[in-house]
Amino acid sequence: MKPKITVWSVVSFLLKVILMVIFIFPFYWMIITGFKTYQESIAFPPSFWPAQLQWENFVKVWESGPYLLYMFNSFAVSIGCLVLQFLIMVPASYAFAKMEFKGRGFFFGLVMVAFMVPQQVTFISIFHMMSRANLLKTLWPQILPHAANAFGIFLLRQNFMQIPDELLESARLDNANEFQILTSVMLPMGKPTLVSILMLSFITTWNNYFWPFIMASSQNVYPLTLGIDALRDVEGSFDWQIIMAGNVILVVPIIIVYAIFHKRIVRAFAYSGIK
Amino acid sequence: MAEIRFEEITKKFGDKVILDHINLDIEDGSFTVMIGPSGCGKTTLLRIIAGIGPQTSGKVFLDGEDISGLPPAKRNVAMVFQNYAIYPTMTVKENIEFGLKNNKVPKDERERLIGEISEIVGIHELLDRKPGTLSGGQRQRIALARAMVKKPKVFLMDEPLSNLDAKLRVSMRTELIELHNRLKTTFVYVTHDQTEAMSMGTRIILMNKGVIQQEATPSVIYQDPDNLFTAQFIGSPQMNVLPFPDEKVRYGFRPEKVHLTNEPGQYFYTRKGHIVTKEMLGSETIYQVRYEGNSVMIKSLEDSFEQDHDVYIGVKKPNILLFDEDERRIRPDDARYEQWMSKL
Repeated sequence: MKPKITVWSVVSFLLKVILMVIFIFPFYWMIITGFKTYQESIAFPPSFWPAQLQWENFVKVWESGPYLLYMFNSFAVSIGCLVLQFLIMVPASYAFAKMEFKGRGFFFGLVMVAFMVPQQVTFISIFHMMSRANLLKTLWPQILPHAANAFGIFLLRQNFMQIPDELLESARLDNANEFQILTSVMLPMGKPTLVSILMLSFITTWNNYFWPFIMASSQNVYPLTLGIDALRDVEGSFDWQIIMAGNVILVVPIIIVYAIFHKRIVRAFAYSGIK
Repeated sequence: MAEIRFEEITKKFGDKVILDHINLDIEDGSFTVMIGPSGCGKTTLLRIIAGIGPQTSGKVFLDGEDISGLPPAKRNVAMVFQNYAIYPTMTVKENIEFGLKNNKVPKDERERLIGEISEIVGIHELLDRKPGTLSGGQRQRIALARAMVKKPKVFLMDEPLSNLDAKLRVSMRTELIELHNRLKTTFVYVTHDQTEAMSMGTRIILMNKGVIQQEATPSVIYQDPDNLFTAQFIGSPQMNVLPFPDEKVRYGFRPEKVHLTNEPGQYFYTRKGHIVTKEMLGSETIYQVRYEGNSVMIKSLEDSFEQDHDVYIGVKKPNILLFDEDERRIRPDDARYEQWMSKL
């Protein structure tokens, strides 16, 4: 059967196209500006396609500072956070969801409070702490404060709570210890949620500007975001094509991650229950 | 050999007493069915055997060995859950294999066991499928296979048929009876369905409010109940129970033990009544008859009586059961028996 074309379906289609353009246009603008000459980037009326692709912009970005180091730092921080968050979040969620212990409600309340307090409230005392621990010249101040992901613990706990207790009991009868129950029964069932939490967390850490801006006290520990920001200073006032080329370099890893996992993310958010 | 003994088992949730000093023996090789209304403690008792819901006090013995403190996996029991509790992310084979792997059974032995059991249960062609793609009946079989493959001393089953449709339930019932005959292992089966209890059990344990009401074979439970609760719980329609006028003692008779006649017959207990409703069920007919302010159900093979007509009902003396003011049975050897019977 052919789908019927109605007025509503046309309107709905047009609305979707408009929405898509609104979301995609800034990306498009960033990318083409990254390929323009300086003259083109400030020309009015603006052009929607560069006369010639200026690959040199990217070379210039790369040569203007230790970008390989910045990139390494960004990866080290993002993956470091990811690993620590995974190690803490998974057992914590399991305990909060399925175990009976004294103070469970209280501790979960603490997690929720941590979830609600913004970084801007805590950064001074954390900076102080890191300074006293003599860690300011390392990547740790960018990693350690994010080791526990309160939102992730909350989300994964909700997911674990939906898993029927009988499955755990059955596993206990099958001679599985708590670690095996976690890895063989709980984690596979929570995988879609876990993957999306970790992905969102990766994107957040990778894109984070505020936190490293406070914590990174030497160029050696700059992540890419601060490196791109530094382009303004190195290249004089606003060389838009260079800044945009830097931004393209910044977002490429995120786009790759998203391209790999986007189905998982959508599924995790649509995941309403376990049959 | 697998005989289970409960000694003074008590289970409380907070202040609420779920099981009250239960003493009970479950015979080796029996198909013991625990039945009772919801909240009676039958599932709690089953979970105590499995070790997944420990008792508050008291002891459980398996073959004379005190297993009260043992973790579930060390008890040599297997359980089939009401919702099957199949691991959804594992294939059927992995589901069955999980316990064996955890018990460090060597690979070729595992393969042999899985092959053997899946043949018996009839799931051979499903081994590589994921549970999500299977029907309720198939999941049920997997849960059974998973229990069987461990060769446990005791099978524990918690309402395993209640999620199946009526037709499948009847055929699975037969299969479980066959399975029990074949394995000769002790089965402990929890249900709230009296048909399941009567048809499958070699022993029935009837429970109410955390107390065992009666423990006997199905026919004893039905023919010779110890108390009013047992008499009324088993049987459909349930036993007619009527009070002696102005007394707390009651008498009862089963709907199928009543004879309907157009003329008064030679029965110990005869009354004239009026047919209020008639339900023709095919092989039998259920009449509701009202007399002297009482309403009784009568199950008859005769379809010849009409609604809104008068009829005589008759019951033989052995088919009338007496219950005292504490709802306990007054049996014929009781001194009070004849005294009450003469009042009818």
